[in-house]
Amino acid sequence: MTAAALDKKSIYGFWGTLMELFRIALRAIWASKMRSFLTVLGIIIGVLAVVAVVSIMQGVFQSFLGRFEALGGDTLFIEPNYRLYKDYSEAVKRLKLTYSDAQAVAQDVPQVKEICAILNRQDAISFHGHHDTTQVWGTGDSFASMNSFTPEYGRFLAPMDVAARRKVCVLGHEVLDKLALSDDCVGQEIQIGHGTFQIVGVLQKKGGSVFGNQDDAVFIPLSTAILQYGQEAADSLLIQVQIRDPKLMDAAIERISAVLRRQHGLKFGQQDDFRTVTQDEILKQIKEFSSISTLVVGAIVGITLIVGGIGIMNIMLVSVTERTREIGIRMAVGAKRAHILYQFLIESVTLSTLGGVLGLVLGWGVAHLTVAILHHTVAESFPPAYVPVWVMFLSLGFAAFTGAVFGVYPAVKASRLDPIEALRYE
Amino acid sequence: MNGDDVLIQARNLVKDYPMGDEVYHALRGVDLTVKRGEFLAIMGPSGSGKSTLLHLLGCLDTPTSGEYLLAGTPVHTLTADALAELRNREIGFIFQMFFLLPRSSALENVELPLIYAKVPPAERHQMALEALQFLKLETHAHHKPNQLSGGQRQQIAIARALVNKPSLIMADEPTGNLDSATSDKIMAQLSELNAMGNTLILVTHEPDVAAYAPRQVRIRDGKIVSDERVKKP
Ligand SMILES: Nc1ncnc2c1ncn2[C@@H]1O[C@H](COP(=O)(O)OP(=O)(O)OP(=O)(O)O)[C@@H](O)[C@H]1O
Ligand SMILES: [Mg+2]
Repeated sequence: MTAAALDKKSIYGFWGTLMELFRIALRAIWASKMRSFLTVLGIIIGVLAVVAVVSIMQGVFQSFLGRFEALGGDTLFIEPNYRLYKDYSEAVKRLKLTYSDAQAVAQDVPQVKEICAILNRQDAISFHGHHDTTQVWGTGDSFASMNSFTPEYGRFLAPMDVAARRKVCVLGHEVLDKLALSDDCVGQEIQIGHGTFQIVGVLQKKGGSVFGNQDDAVFIPLSTAILQYGQEAADSLLIQVQIRDPKLMDAAIERISAVLRRQHGLKFGQQDDFRTVTQDEILKQIKEFSSISTLVVGAIVGITLIVGGIGIMNIMLVSVTERTREIGIRMAVGAKRAHILYQFLIESVTLSTLGGVLGLVLGWGVAHLTVAILHHTVAESFPPAYVPVWVMFLSLGFAAFTGAVFGVYPAVKASRLDPIEALRYE
Repeated sequence: MNGDDVLIQARNLVKDYPMGDEVYHALRGVDLTVKRGEFLAIMGPSGSGKSTLLHLLGCLDTPTSGEYLLAGTPVHTLTADALAELRNREIGFIFQMFFLLPRSSALENVELPLIYAKVPPAERHQMALEALQFLKLETHAHHKPNQLSGGQRQQIAIARALVNKPSLIMADEPTGNLDSATSDKIMAQLSELNAMGNTLILVTHEPDVAAYAPRQVRIRDGKIVSDERVKKP
């Protein structure tokens, strides 16, 4: 061989050989397509499942995160401290958080910018023979500005509505469909529970918010709601507070606590019977829950992939046996043990990675299809699936890793064959 | 004659195969010296150890005891990987059963040794094509083995054996699966290779085939019983 050729040879070297082995692997996989497919079915299903589940879950988490992030760092909620009682219904009976608590906070906490008390009930609604149920929110005018709700038609609740306990309501957009109302329904009357309410406004479509699906909701004056739902409802309100500056959050919480303890007549050493919740805490909880559930899914997938890996090992062992003659030929013309080892290892890694890619694509499809179906059937506001980049890399990485781990034994077995015995193999 | 001319020097080669509790002695002490450019036929009855000897000389296997120097390299001391490299650089094999890769084309089969020799693709194709041209088979370069006749398959195997320009070409009953006309053609081509300077060792039990070789070694029960140089007609 000439010097130039030798030079090229050393440049070609390691990577060239690796490419060559990769080509051989692809060809072997392609030569028995159906078997290859069945071999990696375990991997495909494993990756498909994880991608579908994780991306639907992530979609939900992302939309939750989005809702709470939209609130901003200057918002906090006060709710009865339900954790004081083991039994929720007992807690509702014993604990009190009332409209006068909200007024006290508004007056005595200087950091407060805006405040609103909220009463929530699920109730029946009807209009001209159309019946359905929805979330009823008893609240006031500040609710709209604090949560950036804008009316599409008419107006939101006004201070006068609350003061005069008017039987008026503002509708979320989906309620129009539920009750077959037309766009110009403002001024008409609908039934909410046992009361008759005049529609004064319809909100713009918004989708999810902190308060769930706000399109599927009606808003009535808090005072009217208290009349309609009674004392027990009036005693366990939710109070939303917006403070003047997020930096004042700690001071505000401290002050609110003092005011409410005074309001409730708590003695020194007694536990708070209310709880303040900030956006930060909620975000932290969501993220925590999100990572825990991802971990659980990950563990399930790990098991699936082990099963898939055993499938690969099984078929690779069969494949090594079937191709004993081929291995003998390659060894006879100069393949070293490492060549044979890597040939089969690359084959199983390539196979499982291809399975992973297929699983990824199918999982993506299944996730979006599932969400689309949910959209059209159960909940129009179901958040779109979200496939994080790390899920792609993780699942492909796992698939490749599985191929590598379970491919080692068959590959080692192939590389240890004796050339003569391999050639003699019938 | 100087020492450089000696390609193969085997001393007291023994090959035992364990058979259950007993040991089968396939080779019982073979001494053989082959010079560069020789054409040697190994003959003997079935089971006499011809293939076993060829495998040892071809570095496919190592002896149980004895010494084997190939171009001065002590083969009996080498590891499996060193043997593989030696086979790749120095030896070309031709088998009775052809032993081609069924899914690869003729050209790819001929290229196979060059892949393990790390020859880049362009040169590899060129060298393989030249080898096929030597056998006048370049028109069948892209056929798969199952699209070729037995004779053509063996010619592909010959091309593969000579593509890496080895010091030694080994053929184990290369015509065993072929009719006599094809057989003659193959043997003529192998003789031509020898005439071009290639060292050739051929195993056969057909006298017609052995007749092509100027030197004939007879083996029986794992021992060389005769080693004669015949005048070429
Ligand atoms: N791996 C092995 N294990 C046990 N015995 C073996 C093995 N390989 C070969 N033998 C034995 O060694 C002896 C010589 O075998 P070899 O293949 O060298 O014979 P041969 O001369 O090539 O015969 P043939 O002309 O039939 O090809 C035979 O008796 C065979 O059974
Ligand atoms: Mg034999």
